[in-house]
Amino acid sequence: MPDAAAQARSTLRALRRSVPGLILVRLVGAGFVLWMVATLTFFAVRLIPGDPAEAILGGPGSQTSPAALAAVRAEYGLDLPVFTQYLAQLGRLVTGDLGRSYALNQDVAPLLAGQLGGTLLLAVLALAVAWLLALVLATWSTRGGRFAWFLGSGLEIVSAALPHFWLATALIVLFSVWLGWLPPVSTAGPAGLVLPVLTLAVPLAGFLGQIMRESLLAALESPFVLSARARGEGERGIRWVHALRHAALPAISLSGWAFGSLISGAVVVETIFARPGLGRTLLNAVTVRDVPVVVGTVLVVALGYILMTLLTDLAQRLADPRLRTR
Amino acid sequence: MIASGHTHRASRTVAGLVAAGLLLTGCASPAESPTIEGPVTGGTLTYASGDAEPTCLDPHVGGNYPQALVSTQYLESLVSRDADGKIIPWLADSWTESADGLDWEFTLADGVSFTDGTPLDASAVQANIAHLQDPKTGSSTGYLALQKVTGTEAVAPNVVRLTLGEPDSALLESLSQPWLAIESKQALARSQEENCAAPVGTGPFQVKTWVKQDSITLVRNDGYSSPPADAAHSGPAYLDSIVWRFIPDSASRYAALQSGDVDVIDNAQPDTIVQTEKGDSIRHLDAPRPGASNRIELNSGRAPFNDPLVREAFIRSANVDDAVASLFQGTATRSYAALSSAESLAVPRPELFGYEPKDAGTLLDSAGWTKRDAGGYRVKDGVRLTVTFPVSTNQSIPAEQSLFEQIQATAKKTGFEVRLVPMDLSSWYTALGENNYDAVSAPYTKVGPDVLRILFHSAGIVPAPSGYFANHAQVNDPAIDALLTEAGQVTDASKRKALYTDAQNQVLEGYYILPLYDQQNHFLLGAKVTGARALPTVSTPTFYDAWLK
Repeated sequence: MPDAAAQARSTLRALRRSVPGLILVRLVGAGFVLWMVATLTFFAVRLIPGDPAEAILGGPGSQTSPAALAAVRAEYGLDLPVFTQYLAQLGRLVTGDLGRSYALNQDVAPLLAGQLGGTLLLAVLALAVAWLLALVLATWSTRGGRFAWFLGSGLEIVSAALPHFWLATALIVLFSVWLGWLPPVSTAGPAGLVLPVLTLAVPLAGFLGQIMRESLLAALESPFVLSARARGEGERGIRWVHALRHAALPAISLSGWAFGSLISGAVVVETIFARPGLGRTLLNAVTVRDVPVVVGTVLVVALGYILMTLLTDLAQRLADPRLRTR
Repeated sequence: MIASGHTHRASRTVAGLVAAGLLLTGCASPAESPTIEGPVTGGTLTYASGDAEPTCLDPHVGGNYPQALVSTQYLESLVSRDADGKIIPWLADSWTESADGLDWEFTLADGVSFTDGTPLDASAVQANIAHLQDPKTGSSTGYLALQKVTGTEAVAPNVVRLTLGEPDSALLESLSQPWLAIESKQALARSQEENCAAPVGTGPFQVKTWVKQDSITLVRNDGYSSPPADAAHSGPAYLDSIVWRFIPDSASRYAALQSGDVDVIDNAQPDTIVQTEKGDSIRHLDAPRPGASNRIELNSGRAPFNDPLVREAFIRSANVDDAVASLFQGTATRSYAALSSAESLAVPRPELFGYEPKDAGTLLDSAGWTKRDAGGYRVKDGVRLTVTFPVSTNQSIPAEQSLFEQIQATAKKTGFEVRLVPMDLSSWYTALGENNYDAVSAPYTKVGPDVLRILFHSAGIVPAPSGYFANHAQVNDPAIDALLTEAGQVTDASKRKALYTDAQNQVLEGYYILPLYDQQNHFLLGAKVTGARALPTVSTPTFYDAWLK
């Protein structure tokens, strides 16, 4: 048996080494993860006290009539045992049907499809801006002497620690209320994107910058940089070609995680800046116990997370030749 | 530094030029300042709501305040209410009531049509009553308001008769509410999904598009001809369109108003209201909601508040006045009544609700809560004097939640342990349904004093199959029941007033509730907005008379 296990492990390792193999392993893992995510989310939402039927009909100032409640329960199958509801939901999910929202009177798939774009745009822009800020900060602070080093690392620590809701409010007060440069809520044009993107990008840039600077410093002291210097390469070439490529590796692998954190940040940012998107949809759905929307949103986010991890793995292979030859 | 020096110099130059100009024109400024001009047609008003986005734009379905806010712009009711509380004509020109109070005939306004082109007639009203009473519609507010209506009949094309099972003194007030608005019969025949997306009414605006989780666009109804009797003008509205947005965060909402990205916001919080009152560009519209006052209801259905002495002791031990003054900064007025100050029949009894901690202690002593435990809380038979207080974070604004904390702190001195339990709306409904509370605060918006029957008649205590009930104080007093039932049937105004006064006095003297203030409903209007007002029915703003400077 131990042999069989060892055999399996080494097969898995072999599989992971080739790109199609890696994708296959990831796909099987992804299926399992999605099932777990759907299960956990379903029961987590159903375990919070509160009857979805009450929430669907009852708002502040309205008194729900028994007849209306019964009609709603029957319509959404809420009168069935919870486990039956779970199986029904799972059955639908397997066939790719995300179900119908309790509260929004709409199918979940088109609903999420409509909200996905806004969140993706926000996340991708924030990731790009965070990378840019981190790169600039890391390269500047490693060459600017002690003062730059202290300032750079200080900035990184502070910005990494900034909570999104605080940063969002501070940016609104500064840029919308005092300076009047940028709108505090989403608008038709791109101006409304600036503050939400900054809110998400700044703390992330702090994290990425810290990691990048540490590994950049390590790389600058490593033998391959020394030999490059010995070959007579200029400082710029050493930094941008050799050292930075090396230093980017941990930051790339962190980007998968970063994407997840951006989505969770989107819940706050989309609410504060009144932007349509998955985060706001999720928040609204949790408040009214809209199980199909919650499960659907979490599944979409999980799927995005899995894809991002796969992409970072592939990107690492591109940046790090060692992963390819070994 | 240099730049700022330039700016200073430049502004001084400009100021000088302006002064010179004024001298040259002979101080023409009074004549040049814009005199009061007539309303301007055109423009788009952007409204930002802090409420949750409705899930259905037809307020027949469910029936809550966010729906009422937006539907006030495109749907209209049979009658309205003026600022003095008098019922006035709207879609119905006139009405008559039979001597036994069981038959009501409404004559509809002439020449009114819905925005889909169908006429407003008796059959349309019948279709609306049927829609509200159909369980498949899922109406809660409208359904309850029509409980006494047993039948409808088209007496003439423009006359509709409602038949009642028993007399209903609240019928006109109920019909004035936006949850009972009249929609096109043809539109109601569509699927619920279609009707929710774009209900069709007779209002000054109509729903053009609704991008869910983003905004609702309303455009002017150019054929509009049915303003309520107290409107400022007739004919179509001035605004071209209204964009209805949802900005849940109160700080962003206010920032968007300041930056001019939106023109009107609701759910304005005390701190922002105070801030705007310092400047003069933003206007404050204070429109307390009708129905019940905001109050803390004490659950008389279980210990410790089944003892009237303990209820009175709790009320004596709560320092509400100081807390309201400091937390609401003058934006809310203390209430001593069960009804909102928007209701002309409200009976305030300030002398019953004084803060008297010494008397509170004496009352607890005589109720047998004589000992204190190590925490300083009163105990009786080994049980601590605990008040479980679930707080709905959806329904209580931050200032109100802080008020509850202040009450918790002052009541502690007398020996009450108040356990504040913050919950979201669904959990809160569940806690109430399980009778797992001693104190609770729930708003109740309704036009007219009939809300007293809903809140204090014993029929409103638990066992409804839904689990939800409105008599949170669990008042179970045959004398109060009798008064409220009779008041609900008597249509003679002075008799009705006497009965409701009596009922309110009994509720207040029984210490079932601790009134706090009117249900707060504050709107802030940007400098450009003129002519907006709140309808005196449920205090939703109407932009029919509004225009942009």
